[in-house]
Amino acid sequence: MRKLLAVLVVLLSFVVMAQEVIKIGAIFPLTGAAAATGVKIKYAVEVAQEIINGVYPEINLSLAKSAGLPNLNGAKVQFVFADHQGNPELAMAEAERLIRNEKVVALIGCYQSSCTKPASQIAEKYGIPFVAGSSSSAALTERGLKWFFRIAPHDGMETVFFFNYLRYLNEKYNANIKRVAVVYIDNEYGVHAALMVKEKIKDFPEFSLVADVKYPVSATNVDIEVQKIKAAKPDAIFHASYIGDMTMFVKKYKEFNVVPKVVLSYCGGYQDPQFVVNLGKDADYFAGTNATTPALFAKMPILSKINEMYKAKSGVDIDGPTLEDFASALVIAEAINIAGTTEPEKILEVLKTHTFEAPYFVSEKIKFGPDGQNIYSASVMTQIFNGVYEAVWPEQYQTHEPVPQFPDWKKR
Amino acid sequence: MKKTPLLVILALLLILPLVVEDVNFQHVMLMMLIFAGLGEAWNIITGFAGQTSFGHAAFFGIGAYTSTVLFYKFNVSPWIGMILGALFAGIVAFLVSYPCFRLKGHYFAIATLAVAEIIKQLFVSWDYVEGATGISIPVVPDSFWAMQFHRSKIPYVLIAYGLFVFVLFVAVAIERNKMGYYLKAIRESHEAAEALGINTARYKLLAMIVSSMLTALFGTLYAQYILYIDPFMVFGLDVSMKIVLLTVLGGLGSVYGPIIGAAILIPLSEYTRTLLGGTGKGIDLMIYGILIVIVVVFEPRGILGLLRKRSRRRLNYGKSNA
Repeated sequence: MRKLLAVLVVLLSFVVMAQEVIKIGAIFPLTGAAAATGVKIKYAVEVAQEIINGVYPEINLSLAKSAGLPNLNGAKVQFVFADHQGNPELAMAEAERLIRNEKVVALIGCYQSSCTKPASQIAEKYGIPFVAGSSSSAALTERGLKWFFRIAPHDGMETVFFFNYLRYLNEKYNANIKRVAVVYIDNEYGVHAALMVKEKIKDFPEFSLVADVKYPVSATNVDIEVQKIKAAKPDAIFHASYIGDMTMFVKKYKEFNVVPKVVLSYCGGYQDPQFVVNLGKDADYFAGTNATTPALFAKMPILSKINEMYKAKSGVDIDGPTLEDFASALVIAEAINIAGTTEPEKILEVLKTHTFEAPYFVSEKIKFGPDGQNIYSASVMTQIFNGVYEAVWPEQYQTHEPVPQFPDWKKR
Repeated sequence: MKKTPLLVILALLLILPLVVEDVNFQHVMLMMLIFAGLGEAWNIITGFAGQTSFGHAAFFGIGAYTSTVLFYKFNVSPWIGMILGALFAGIVAFLVSYPCFRLKGHYFAIATLAVAEIIKQLFVSWDYVEGATGISIPVVPDSFWAMQFHRSKIPYVLIAYGLFVFVLFVAVAIERNKMGYYLKAIRESHEAAEALGINTARYKLLAMIVSSMLTALFGTLYAQYILYIDPFMVFGLDVSMKIVLLTVLGGLGSVYGPIIGAAILIPLSEYTRTLLGGTGKGIDLMIYGILIVIVVVFEPRGILGLLRKRSRRRLNYGKSNA
């Protein structure tokens, strides 16, 4: 009996060794200015790899239940990491190296949109799929690439999300929001967001745009801008700002006692936990879109389990962009599994047609449209109460009721 | 001047990428040729004339943007864009250097740094050239006219090689011409050169214009190779510093310096990154940094200085005090 067992073990180990390892390239800024984020993303992709290759019956994801990819005889998936240092030239060179030398069958990355652009062009050239997680520049999916897919919502989708939320506040809470102002930084991110507001507001006739306030990238004083905003008396302010300028604006809102009903922020300064650290109580009542927030973990057991694994590596809770890149790793592995092969054309077909389960997002699903953009906005509206980002909309994920009125700054 | 070593190096640079089929190696060779060429161009103003420029990214970026915008907006061949880019870079160099040459030593270096940053900011906020978004160059099928080659990197390598040889030729020609002697005289002592009757302002300006025009040529090639540019990658301080670093590492003021510097720094940074970059610990950058510190501490005249010391054989050109 023992002999038989020994033979079995040897045979089994041969089977395991003979198993194919499927390599997927993961290009992120592991050093350089965005290294802190890049390393966090690396941890998240490693968690995805563990979930795919290991057996986690407690996580209700199709690839968690079996070791490796079941449709490819349990083949293991290996994410091959490469560092682009935030430099588009290196992103391009690494993409080509991973495809040609490491023989990866697909690519994920690259966090910064400027690096995702050239890297995905290389994937296009070689005809292999590229799934971007968190790169949010709208231009990425406007290039008409055949092999490019993106999970994060772009600012056009965020804008529609904002208006739908305002509509919800008006209907459910009688908030009577009509006048909208958009405040934005003078760079690609801000200017494009403002453009989207002007375009999408046409579909929401109950709102009117009363102020369009642009401020320079290196602004050190926003008195004039805030006075302009105050004069326009907006009910809702849309902000496309980074952490430094956002902090400056909030301080001036307080100084000039600007009390709108809601302030909604595009993915940027508000989403940085530093926002609460910088402003303390003054950060309360501000709102914006997040891909996730720790307040949701109690409501979403799968997300909570993923976060547990992630936190063990990184020491912090998983944040929005990191979760989006985590999703890109799972989606590409699942696409390969469903295709049952590493043939690029077959994987492409799955990416184009399949609806992927994503119970870690409030949207619960990922499906790519004809341009490669995920049609489900993987976002939740959050509002800060007592320094905590609470989920306020959509309703089924609510951890706190929204408050559509800022209190007077003097009475805080 | 002994030609043999230079010819051997040139032959090696041409043959290596043609016989080794690995794309990563070809990429490294291409980057080496581009940066060696940039180093040669920079050497003309800094190595020969002694005017330290920390802002050569400005000319590199102008070259990249001129050809890219012309191709992107008007479908003009990047070859024409390359020539126009060099002209623009020359004009900008003229306009910028004229006032800056009143400054000496460190002040000139700081001024060039500042000018490059200003130009970068201008491009960041200039909507016509897509500002901070950058431009994705429209991909067309392989074409010499459009300077796009997708099936193989060899054409890019050959163009880079051609440009490099051209820049080298110009640098050697200047060095052997009376202009080279004038520039070196200016480098050694501005006042003495003037006393000898050299029109220092004119020759410094000429050196700057030639240097900037040559730099711009590589900008076009770089843009056509990456097929995407934004102000941060082509006007960035990184580009200026890389040029300075590899030339200083190789040996300032000699045509061999940038070749040696590029041949060491570019493969070192590329291969340490591909081997260790995926760990996310930045080990590749540490090794890269340590090597530079070692060379600068032990042999400030660069690796060329080290070689000269070793062989006790003086090459009959380059820095006279080597």
